[in-house]
Amino acid sequence: MKNEKDKIQIYSARQSHHKKNLWLEMEQELIASRELIWRLMLRDFSVRYRQSILGYIWAIFPQIITVAIFTFLARHRVFDMGGTTMPYVIHALWSVSVWQLFAGCLIGCTNSLVNAGSLVTKINFPKEALVFSAIGQALLDFMIRLFPITMVFIWYGFVPSWHSVFIPFVLMSIILMALGVGFIMAIINLVLRDMGNVISMILTFGMFLAPILYPPPIKEPFNIVNYANPFSPLLIATQNLLAGQDLMQTELLALMSAISLGIFLFGWRMFHITMPRIAERA
Amino acid sequence: MSDDDVLIKVENVSKKFCKSLKQSMLYGIEDIARDTLNLKATSDVLRKDEFWAVDDVSFEVKRGECLGIIGRNGAGKSTLLKMLNGIFMPDKGTITIKGKVGALIEVGAGFHPMLTGRENIYVNGSILGMSKREIDGKFDEIVEFAELEEFIDMPVKHYSSGMYVRLGFAIAAQVEPDVLILDEVLAVGDLGFSAKCYKYISDFKRKSAVILVSHDMRNISRMSNVGLFFSKGKVISYGDIQNTVELYRSYFSENDIKRTKHDSEILTVLSVNSLPKNRVKQYSDLVIEISLYSHIKNINIIFNMAIHKSDGTHCCGFISDPKKITNISKNSSKINIDLYLSKLRLMPGEYYFSLYIWNVDQTERFSAFENCHKITVIGDERTQGIVTLEHKWKIK
Repeated sequence: MKNEKDKIQIYSARQSHHKKNLWLEMEQELIASRELIWRLMLRDFSVRYRQSILGYIWAIFPQIITVAIFTFLARHRVFDMGGTTMPYVIHALWSVSVWQLFAGCLIGCTNSLVNAGSLVTKINFPKEALVFSAIGQALLDFMIRLFPITMVFIWYGFVPSWHSVFIPFVLMSIILMALGVGFIMAIINLVLRDMGNVISMILTFGMFLAPILYPPPIKEPFNIVNYANPFSPLLIATQNLLAGQDLMQTELLALMSAISLGIFLFGWRMFHITMPRIAERA
Repeated sequence: MSDDDVLIKVENVSKKFCKSLKQSMLYGIEDIARDTLNLKATSDVLRKDEFWAVDDVSFEVKRGECLGIIGRNGAGKSTLLKMLNGIFMPDKGTITIKGKVGALIEVGAGFHPMLTGRENIYVNGSILGMSKREIDGKFDEIVEFAELEEFIDMPVKHYSSGMYVRLGFAIAAQVEPDVLILDEVLAVGDLGFSAKCYKYISDFKRKSAVILVSHDMRNISRMSNVGLFFSKGKVISYGDIQNTVELYRSYFSENDIKRTKHDSEILTVLSVNSLPKNRVKQYSDLVIEISLYSHIKNINIIFNMAIHKSDGTHCCGFISDPKKITNISKNSSKINIDLYLSKLRLMPGEYYFSLYIWNVDQTERFSAFENCHKITVIGDERTQGIVTLEHKWKIK
């Protein structure tokens, strides 16, 4: 409190690039707003299904139905899914959940500022908190979805490999990537509302361009989806870890994790620099 | 606490806005790109469709001072406040703020309609930078200040606008900032609550700096000691609040006379003069000469003259005798009226005259010429109130 009293703030047209220790400032701001982020997450959790009867069951329904349809189609050989190392239902259910985690984070972040409405233009607080807190919903949904996944594991007598303990690290990369892109999209979305639609569209197609409902293709040229879609290497890694296989594309995975971190840092910094100038156009 | 404890320093600050939405989107993308790529920002020049919403504004607010900002709608007051609060970035100039800033730009910004009052206190409190422990400690105080004990567990979407204001102000009041910025937020609250808020502000003012935007001239001149009058982004006057408010009023009245001349179809004021002059001594006699022109014929009218102070306080009013009806016949469409005021018992200051023309039963008002005349009363400064009496002290 004491140092806050003596704090001197200077607002001017000078760009924040010239500030020293911008990274430090961003970090301090994040630490200072951790309680706010948590509070906003809690708010979103408690508000989301307040006026609904089924509540959080809605987090599970769409995923189960998608997988059920594809399982039905695969069983009846409407199209050939090829062989999956895990039972198809487990492969599909797991992959869809991971995809939804990514998609949920990205959509949440992209719309976070626009959904906040007057908060952005009427109150001064670290707006990063809005973007960070937006991943809470997707994370919670993911955790809820682990429940039906566990049920299916038990049903099929599938025991996840001990390698699975590394899955959270890969998920972390996925979330960082979503956050990074989300930061950039959130700020652009504030000016150009098209971005929300662009992201939804990309995510709809993206789901089919990653080995989610089918095993990673081995044949050329279809195996392009394994590396051209930046999400694929991370997804395949989680699948491999779950099944206890060797990681297929170790270098690509390392590269993608590094890229995720890079995107995250770039997005965050860009957001931090441009936010004060863009707030007026919200 | 030294005399030169300046908490807010604004130096040559300007801000531009874009009139066209499509252009604004384009410029937004341009600004994002420039900032991201670390190119020079184009903030100091106007691009197509842009204008200066705040133009070269400078002022200072010290600890213990209250700055009242007045001006017409769209003058740039809120934009300035948003820059002071750090929500918007100035395009030119520098703002330096010392200490913790608390701002209430819009009441209820950040309230989630689905959440109850209780939950919203926690969410809004943390948005304003309070920790959970701080909010826990102040929760009862907030609810008590807002007088919402009964409704604190009701979703705020069922709150009335006044209840919104109560809750919003009560939360902001607990932040205990060094600099408090309030934008026309107390207009919605009921009489009791706004009185409570103004009392809070005047207590608060002693240890902090306050910036207040309001259209309520009476309260703003009561609360503030320094005034800033804004028009079209430019500072018209900066100084003593009373003078600033007077200037603002006169700014209006000049515009109003012109406007009523066009609007009024029944009557037009040709001239209003005071004899012997516009600057009169207390307790002296005054004659107001009014010359009207009537556009229609065969109506019966009576006159009503009201005298207001610059902050809108109604000092007195006079209605002409309904038994002496003025009939506008066909021949004379020009009417001359004299109002004799003897031994003017007004306080020193500026006074505005408003003339209203009624039908005989005072059921229909034909014309209103608000602030059609202004006089300045000079005299004994050691008097208080609205009117004065001839008096003499005798100390034994």
